[in-house]
Amino acid sequence: MTQVLPEKAAAEKGFRRPTGNSRWRKWLPDLGQSRGTTPPPAMDARTLFALAILLLLVQLPHLLHLPPWVSLIGATLIGLRLVLLKRPDYPLLGTILSPASVTLLAIACAWLIRVDYGYFIGRDPCVAFLFILVAAKFAEVRRPGDATMLLCLAAFLLLTQYFYSQTILAALVTLPAVIALAHALAILRDPNNPAHTREQLKLVITLLIQGLPLATLLFLVFPRLPGPLWSLPEDAAASTGLSDSMSPGSIGQLSQSDAVAFRVEFDGAIPASRDRYWRGPVLSEFDGRRWSVSPRLLEANARFQGEAADIIDYTVTLQPHNQRWLFALDAAVSLPRADLPSTRLANDTAVVTQTASTMGTDQTRSGRQRAGKAMGRLMSDGQMLATSPVTQVLRYRQSSVLLDTISASRQPPDSTLFLPGTNERSSRFAMELRQRLPSDSAYAQAILQHFNQQPYHYTLQPQLLGDAPVDEFLFDTMAGFCEHYAAAFVVLMRSVGIPARVVTGYLGGEMNEDYMIVRQSDAHAWAEVFIEGAWRRYDPTGAVAPSRVEQGLSAALPDDSFVPRLARLDKGWLSDAQLRWDALNHQWQRLVVDFDNDTQDGLWERLGLPKPELWQVTAIVLALTGLWCTVVLGVPRFSRSPMLADERSWQRLCELLRRRQLVRKPAETPAEFLQRAALAWPAQAGRLHQLQEQFANLRFRALSEAEQRQRQTEVRQLLTRLRWSLPGGSESLTTNS
Amino acid sequence: MNQPAPTRSRQPSSQGVASLERMPAAELGEVLAQLERILMGKSEQTTLALACLLARGHLLIEDVPGVGKTTLAHALGATLGLDWTRVQFTSDLLPADVVGVSIFNSHNQQFEFKPGPVFTSILLADEINRAPPKAQSALLEAMEERQVTVDGVSHALAEDFFVIATQNPGDQLGAFPLPESQLDRFLVGLEIGYPDPATERALLEHGDMRADVASLEPLLDARQIQRWRKQCDKVHLSSPVLDYIQALLLASRTAGTGLSPRAGLSLVKLCRAFAFIQQRDHVLPDDVRHVFPALAGHRMTGHVRSGHQHARELLQQVSMP
Repeated sequence: MTQVLPEKAAAEKGFRRPTGNSRWRKWLPDLGQSRGTTPPPAMDARTLFALAILLLLVQLPHLLHLPPWVSLIGATLIGLRLVLLKRPDYPLLGTILSPASVTLLAIACAWLIRVDYGYFIGRDPCVAFLFILVAAKFAEVRRPGDATMLLCLAAFLLLTQYFYSQTILAALVTLPAVIALAHALAILRDPNNPAHTREQLKLVITLLIQGLPLATLLFLVFPRLPGPLWSLPEDAAASTGLSDSMSPGSIGQLSQSDAVAFRVEFDGAIPASRDRYWRGPVLSEFDGRRWSVSPRLLEANARFQGEAADIIDYTVTLQPHNQRWLFALDAAVSLPRADLPSTRLANDTAVVTQTASTMGTDQTRSGRQRAGKAMGRLMSDGQMLATSPVTQVLRYRQSSVLLDTISASRQPPDSTLFLPGTNERSSRFAMELRQRLPSDSAYAQAILQHFNQQPYHYTLQPQLLGDAPVDEFLFDTMAGFCEHYAAAFVVLMRSVGIPARVVTGYLGGEMNEDYMIVRQSDAHAWAEVFIEGAWRRYDPTGAVAPSRVEQGLSAALPDDSFVPRLARLDKGWLSDAQLRWDALNHQWQRLVVDFDNDTQDGLWERLGLPKPELWQVTAIVLALTGLWCTVVLGVPRFSRSPMLADERSWQRLCELLRRRQLVRKPAETPAEFLQRAALAWPAQAGRLHQLQEQFANLRFRALSEAEQRQRQTEVRQLLTRLRWSLPGGSESLTTNS
Repeated sequence: MNQPAPTRSRQPSSQGVASLERMPAAELGEVLAQLERILMGKSEQTTLALACLLARGHLLIEDVPGVGKTTLAHALGATLGLDWTRVQFTSDLLPADVVGVSIFNSHNQQFEFKPGPVFTSILLADEINRAPPKAQSALLEAMEERQVTVDGVSHALAEDFFVIATQNPGDQLGAFPLPESQLDRFLVGLEIGYPDPATERALLEHGDMRADVASLEPLLDARQIQRWRKQCDKVHLSSPVLDYIQALLLASRTAGTGLSPRAGLSLVKLCRAFAFIQQRDHVLPDDVRHVFPALAGHRMTGHVRSGHQHARELLQQVSMP
């Protein structure tokens, strides 16, 4: 803002000079101060007000992610313009909102945004700049013609909101803005219509509702572009999730979050909770304190020797975590593929037939590979990497076999044996133990027993560890979280020359309706040891706290420790509601947001139709649009005038009596007719008389709107009561139904 | 420079809603009761006569002598506090006998206008179809223009000038029937008819009410009548009722002499006045049906009695929208 002030002062000076430079004056707002010249037609207050409301509603969803100062400037500009509307003779304000000073403000803001974000070409700064520009345009708007442009800008700004979130909530938040947009359009379309705002809103909402079927139709059949419309430069945004390194306490911290890591839909049976090891980054590099991902990774083939019937197929919906790894149940036997509903079925039948005929190993896999395009690679350490960092919600198909042993074709790299030599006590302990035992596997079992029998315990709040964290943990504190146990286990293995590595990922997951939610609180670390030519999974946490593996985090921790609410065992109604909401959002993501051109092709297939040509789609859309317009415009019931409401009620009453053999003569007045009805049913005479009064008032009297509405309600109640109390009422109802 | 700021605040519009001040229920009731006391058993006719007066129209009564035409005029005048005059129309009546005449005043050597009986509030023109057309038209012009012109000088009539003309049924001898165009100037055509047996019995028992008329207290004055007329104009006429009125006018034109647009306007006025007398601020279709024969009968056939019959048939044919 400080950049703006000198300019403002200059503009003011130039303005106050009565015989000012004509070049200057051209840029200053003409608000009637320049006597003698006729002011250009100004935008009327109603349009301006509608636009202000629209822009504020459009700005609202952006407030969540914009820097506060940007939001403040944007809202202030709109507020100032409204003040100017009320006080057009306030000279300073007019100068501030002149095109020249607003342009300077926008330039200053661009610079500030560059400073604030550190870069300019990217999603966040560009949206922030657009936000400022739209508000600035509104601030200096004078001519009525600018309104259309502002509407387009507002619509675009509203769309950018979806760069950040595409959940149901995000869609709902934009709904008021959409209504305001339609309202502003209606005002622009018919500026002289003095209809009340409420009436106009009613009209606009009716129009929007009438447009819904058309929007749905276009959503379903309008040809889609493959892939996103434009790819945005990535913004470094912090998000929770596993990282490419692990130090004591890092997973413990992650467990405090009940954010969703990913969701899984299983095609068949759901694996038992102790088998739900979701493999993530594999950490083989160790520097004495930190574990990290090996920088040299080779691509591997997804191999599986065994029965194809053991294969578990599922679909993962991964939340963006800005890293490249994808998660799969241990061990993955396919590459992640795009999720195609139509090919899924065909593919599965292919698998079954192949299993029946052959052993079905590599062929099965290659058969699976053909289905969709691969979305990532499988590395030699069993870790899956996407082709690019996951910055948007990603859905992929995956197949796994529940195995805790992965046979390796090549020798483990040396890095899986490396120890920096800081944990001497552990090494000594390991050597002594190994010498007493016959085999590597017996040694591994012995260590698990050691964890189990010695007073180790499982806690989220371990003590801080010093330079030799493994030594301190193993012999001094004896309390830790899964990463402590996994790290210590691997160190003990490597100390005696057995290759070992830490695997991070998630263990567990919770079923919600028909899919599984895996949360950050399920984050876990375990060990893999290379014994007898295969990588074998050892989970030392299971030896200390078996319930962590069987039942999840909260079962393994003492009651008083902090566990995220949604990871707890006993859940309140709030968690229930949250899970429902999650299920809804998951469906939304699956059915609406992920509806792309592949899904669209699947839609035609499901209808049993060949994929139509573009002209056929156009013809279908035009025909259905025409049909719908005929329905909407042709049915006169849609015109809602209060007069017609009375007529409808009156027709209902006539129909009601006609069914009971009392037909109104054409020349009969309502009063005469109802008097005749009262003679026919003397028991209902009072009610009929009341109706007669009400109708006489409703149809023939000038009533205020409120009274009219109230009387209409009364008439409806009377009609309902009359329908039930007239003889033959129930009969006619049953015959109707 | 001290220009007052334009006032933005607007009162919530009350136009059309509760447009009438308090309905003068008590006064109306009293007036109707008094009229009926004089003209026993004829509330129908007295109400219509009052409606006609409030609608600024003129009244034509067609009936045999002796059923109370004069009494009605007398009662109206006395109750409403208006002065009234009676002119007996005869075959030798001259226009000057009705409107007045200019007489040469020998004192000041000038013509002086001597106003005729038409300069009054209520004029009872008895047996109007006995007079020759010239005299009839003099009266009818006065009714329409509410002024008379004698020797090039116009003289305005009373503000609430109201003519009650009576005529004998057309088949009597020595009558000059009013042409249709003249009949159109009467808002309402009524029959009084013989009293029903019970009323007649009471009449015979208690004697003539005319003696009482002289002792009647006026319940209203001219100013109040003006106020009521203004209130009548504000009575709400909804669009279904207007549709109905229009349908009636259309139907009348397909058979016989149709109703003129002036008749349509008069019908609207009469409906409003009638609804007002019923103490309503809106017109019901029932009001239209009630007043329609009185308004349309004499216009469509030239005779009140046959006209009423014709109008009732028409009402049965036109459907309520």
